[in-house]
Formats: sequence, C-alpha cells, structure tokens
Amino acid sequence: MKLKNLFTTTLALALLAGAVSAANWTAGMTEGKVALKSAGPITFGPEGILFVADTKAAAIIAIATGDTQAGAAKAFKIEGINQKIAALLGTAADQILLDDLAVNPVSHTAYFAITRGRGAGATPVLVRVKADGQPELVSLDKLKHARAELPDAPVEGVQGEGMKQSNPRQESITDLAFFQDRLLVAGLSNEEFSSALRAIPFPFQKVANGTSVEIYHGAHGKFETRSPIRTFVPFMVGDQPQLLAAYTCTPLVQFPLSDIKPAAKIKGKTIAELGNRNRPLDMIVYHRDGKDWLLLANNSRGVMKIATDHIAGADAITAPVGGGGTQGLKYETIESWKGIEQLDKLDDTNALVLRRAEGGALNLESLPLP
Amino acid sequence: MRDPFPPLPAGEGRGEGERSLRSRPVLYAAAAKTSENPQPFAAVFLRWVSVPKETNRITLEVSGLDADTLATLQSTNWPATNWPRLLSMFVEQSGAEPLPMSGAHRVEGGKLWFLPAFPLEPGLRYRAVFDAGQLPGAATPLAGRFTTTLTVPVRPERTTTTVTQIYPSADVLPENLLKFYIHFSAPMSRGNIYEHIRLLNEGNQAVELPFLELAEELWSADRMRLTLFIDPGRIKREVKPLEEIGPALQAGKRFTLVIGRGWKDADGNRLKETFKKRFFVGPPDRTPPDPQRWSYQAPPIRTRDPLAVDLAKPMDAALAVRMIHVVDSSGREVAGQALLTERERIWRFLPLQSWKSGHYTLVVETAIEDLAGNNIGKPFEVDLAESPTPRLEQKTVRLPFELR
Repeated sequence: MKLKNLFTTTLALALLAGAVSAANWTAGMTEGKVALKSAGPITFGPEGILFVADTKAAAIIAIATGDTQAGAAKAFKIEGINQKIAALLGTAADQILLDDLAVNPVSHTAYFAITRGRGAGATPVLVRVKADGQPELVSLDKLKHARAELPDAPVEGVQGEGMKQSNPRQESITDLAFFQDRLLVAGLSNEEFSSALRAIPFPFQKVANGTSVEIYHGAHGKFETRSPIRTFVPFMVGDQPQLLAAYTCTPLVQFPLSDIKPAAKIKGKTIAELGNRNRPLDMIVYHRDGKDWLLLANNSRGVMKIATDHIAGADAITAPVGGGGTQGLKYETIESWKGIEQLDKLDDTNALVLRRAEGGALNLESLPLP
Repeated sequence: MRDPFPPLPAGEGRGEGERSLRSRPVLYAAAAKTSENPQPFAAVFLRWVSVPKETNRITLEVSGLDADTLATLQSTNWPATNWPRLLSMFVEQSGAEPLPMSGAHRVEGGKLWFLPAFPLEPGLRYRAVFDAGQLPGAATPLAGRFTTTLTVPVRPERTTTTVTQIYPSADVLPENLLKFYIHFSAPMSRGNIYEHIRLLNEGNQAVELPFLELAEELWSADRMRLTLFIDPGRIKREVKPLEEIGPALQAGKRFTLVIGRGWKDADGNRLKETFKKRFFVGPPDRTPPDPQRWSYQAPPIRTRDPLAVDLAKPMDAALAVRMIHVVDSSGREVAGQALLTERERIWRFLPLQSWKSGHYTLVVETAIEDLAGNNIGKPFEVDLAESPTPRLEQKTVRLPFELR
C-alpha cells in the first residue's frame, strides 16, 4: 500500500525518539522459505522490508526483500499489467487477483501481492515490476523474514471440554502502515461489526502482543461506534504523530497515535465529511508548494486532494451533514484521475496507480502528483 | 508486434500438434535433427512430462544434448538470464505479448528440464519453445527452434453447489439491519463476488450499492460462509436519511436478496440455481438486547434435553452461537452444542452429559449483536447529546439459574 510517513519532520522525530538503528531492522529474522497462506495488504518499512498481511494465517510477515539498492523512479506506463502478470504465472488474467500494490521507497520498484487462482488451490505470490517494465516473480524460497501472529486470532471454538466446533470467525486486514518503529494494522471481523487497530513493535518481539482498540467517531450527527477503517495514514500534526483514517462511509477521522494502547477506546475527531456514494480505497500524503496534501482514491470519483494545513485547528464535525453533503477540510476532486484501483507514492513528485482503463484493461502508470 | 512464434521453415523440427494432458499422461513431442551444420546434439527430443499424483503439474524435458553441452549449461559460465531464450513455456493468449512462464531450469540425469512454478490451468493452451540456436557452441542462431503445444482439457462442469441458508432467516427484518450471512453447500471462489449479489426493491429494480464491498471479502476460513454487511453509509439514521441516494432498506417495503447462479464455487462450477430471499422491512431497532428480559425453559435433570432460552428478539446467528455459554457451580463451562431456532430467537443448548441438579450460570458476552448491530448495553449508534460516553464497560453479563 503506501509508505505514509516520509516527511522530514517525521524522520527527525523518529531519530529523537531513539528509533531502532538501521542495522537492527533484520534482527531476529530467520532465513529460509517464507510460508504464506494468503497475501492481503502489503506495505514497505525501512531497508526494503516488505510487510505482508496473511489474513488466512492471522499473521503479518516481515520479509527482507534484499531490494535495498537506491534507484531513481522513472515515469512509465504498462498497459495490461494484469495480463502480463497472468502470463508470468502461467494462467489467464481472470484467474488472478491483484490484491495490493506497494512501492519500495528505496529502489522505487513496484511490488504486487497477487492471488493466483480463485478457488481451492489459490496461491499467494509476490510479483515485482523490473526496470524494463516486465513483471518477475519474487522467489520466497530463501529470504530473511520474521512473523507476528495477531493476538486476537480466532481459535477453534470450544463449547466446554472436548466439544470442538469449527469457528468461522476470521479477521481481515484492511490496511497496514509502518511508522517509526511500529507496524500499524487495521482489521475487520467477519462477525462482529468492529474495527481493531493494532500497533505492533518492529522488529517483532518473540511473542508480538499487539494492541486492540475500538474507534469512535462522530458522523451523521451521531456518535457512531464501530464503523471499520478502510484506509489510513500516519501524519504529523505539529509535532504530534496522528492517524488519519478514512471510513467506509468516508468521514475522515483524526486521532493521536499515542492513544493506541491495549484495550483502549479511542474517540476520534471527524475532520471531514466527503459525501457518500463513495468508498475510500487508498490514501497517501505528499509535500508540495510548502504544504502537506492528502490524496484519497475512492471507487466512484476522481481522487480527492485535501489540504492539510488547517488540520491542527479543524473543528470536530458533530452536527449532521445532510443531503450526502460534505463538510470540514477543503478538498478538490482531480477528475482526470479516474478508475484508480490502487495508489501509492512512487517518489516525492509522482504517484504510482493501478488504473482500470475504458475497455477494462488494467494499467500500471506513474502520474505527477497534483 | 513481431510474431514470437514464426512458422518454422520446412525441414526443421516441429511438435506434433496439440496434446491432451489427460488422454496421455506422459506426452511426447519430437524434433528431428535440424540442420546440416555441426550441432551440439544429434537429435533433440522435447516433450511434456506430467508430474505423478499432481493435477495439471507438468515439466518440460529436453533430451539428446551431448555431455559437453550439458556441462556448460550447468557451469557458472552460463548466465541465468540466458535460460528463457533457450527453453521456455508460454500461455497462448490473443493480443498479448507472450511472457515466459516463471519456473526453474535444471540439468539432471543427462537431460535439460524446465519446471514451471505453477500447475497448468484447465482450458488454456500452452506452448513450449526450445531454441537450439541459443545453445553454447551453436553454429548459427537459426540452428533450429522446436515448439510444441499442449491444451489442458476443461473440466466438465458440475453444477451441484447451492445456497443452503441465508441469515437472518426471518421474513421481516429491521430497517437498520446490519448484515446477512450467506451459507453455501461447498467452498466458493474468491474475487469480484459482489457482481453476483443483488438487492431488488418492490419494482424489481436493483438497489444501488447497498452493501459494503470489501476487496478482502469476508469469508469463513472454509469459504462456505460469506458475511455481507449493509453499507453503514446506507443504513437509515435516526436524525435524517442520506438524501443523495437514501437508505438501502426502507420500512414498509418488500425487498429480495438475489444470489446469481453465475457465481462459481471453488472448483470453478456455477451454482445449481439462483437463490432468492424475499423479505419485508419493519421499523428500525435501536434497543440494545437486554438479557434481563430473556426467559428460559429448564430441562429435567438426569436428561440430555435442551436448555431453551428465549432471547426476546432474533439475534445475530453467528454471534449468538459463539457468545452464550453455560457454566456450572464450580465455574466450569458445560460441554455441549448450541443452536438457534425460531428465526434465531430461541437459543438451544444440548449438553454432552445429562443435567445434574444444582446452580448454573448463563454467561453472555456483551459484544453479542442483534440484527441491527446493537450490543448489550450499547446501541449501534449512541446519540452524542444524550450520552457522550459508551455506557457499558463489562465484557460479560451473568444470568444465574437452578435445575432441580
């Protein structure tokens, strides 16, 4: 998905906070075959370390890709990237799912989490796009990696002694982001309508005990309780690290990262209502013309470019926003960015998007940040 | 675009046309000696070899290469980047530039092998290409290019999978209903599922975007149950409906949830038939479940008759089974099986052992939900003005009862 925190202020803070020194990021990793049951959202951490959410195994796997050579991003457009990846995997384009896209901020190489096959034999694979525009399979046979089991992973349901019932509960991970020395993970259960956000320290501890929180936010004139987070981004407001989260019904909510503690209940501040008929997909932050901007891709309109310079003083929206209307932070819709399905930052001035073109082809292209 | 597989000139080796994976488990495609020029082989054979006991797993075998050539291929002087030009497999697809399939090359047992990283896909045609001109020491790049194709047979479709149940099972559902569970008789496929699900209004028109469409798709681990959340932005609020498109469900009207038969199961077969759940929408439910209003029917002791608890209203089917427990006087959980009847209003518990006389407790997790997502002590929505903080912090509610 996105490396969401490449601001000088953030990095400075990370250093001040005594974040783990670069040499230690792979501490505790073991070298060998990386076993994935599924590949959901992905995001990069430092030094080419890729985090892969394995929903089926209720785990996050940190993989040292070895892709650590600094490289310059190039503008490009690859038409029919799904067909190329399908050919590489020896199958048809309708038999693969492009689950997520992430750019390695060191090498500026694009990585995809792919599911090959849609049925019982579906296999998760990682594919990266080489400089010549051709996809290649990332071999998982011999890589340094570490694993964090999600703390509230579903266990087999037990009704008293000896009466095991299979437990169909499962938690899906909707987004990941690396921040300073923590991996932030948003999850959604397939039973309770709740949103869990966890901050998992990295490098992973022997038993990675994450933290789980419920998020409250005001919307529609209500103190709405448990709407799931769709996508989020760590963000500095002044010198305070904050999380900006987009919910399924598109309010943008802000809360301090320091609030993410075990079993905490966070009350977020709704800072924008972006209107309905609109589902947020991905979010990135970038710097331009002396300001930080938020770019939010959604399924029904062009992307939204949101100015963040008034976030610090923004009032919480607590009154109803009627008529499917919008309120709060100002934004403009970039109409020309249509059909965006995945979004990440390619470098400081370009985004990388997976885009559905008219006629149905999926293209991977770089676009100058607006 | 250049044709990557130009027709071979007469006299050059060529595969014997299409092969069926199933009709001949070990397939053979031969190429004769190719040219008058001296070559690092006498006669080269290129063939598909199926991997025993693995469905649609295949390797490519090249035999007939001389020992010196094989030694060079194994040595470090042979760069890995040369392999795809020498021996490759491609999926044949129209309009797309072919890319070699991912896999490993190996020299073993006096032969050259290509092991594709993945099994072949039913219904697709694959082409193997061995280009002898790329061999170390080949006299000319035109020395000989051998190709053979293989079509993997399509599995005959068996449309036996059905929708077995949709919860809530009631015919009248609250206007602020939060979710459906769709149960299937067999594991289903993943990807683009929402195109098979429609919510129709009274006029048989599809309601626009009524559901939370998550790319993650909320399946159970066995892929036999899908959780379908109504988009929280489309659930009617107390204060004011969202006027732009309005709520998905409206009280006083009839709706039909349709599961289309084009949805494929995990084996790629469509469903046996389209499934329809017709229901009527009643008023919204904003009252949290209250265990104080529950009543129970005590089973006779020394029997394994079910304990029946009336939950006062239909509850979320998955959570009611998981979040209500029976504990005996020593605090141990009583072994048994829970099930819901009467449209998910009655919770029945069948003990593994006969009931004994004594004190028991029904332990209910407060995270249990009714059909509108209200929890015990906490409605789905809390009014900011009335109650700025969540009301109930405890995780369970305990209801003692006695059997005599």
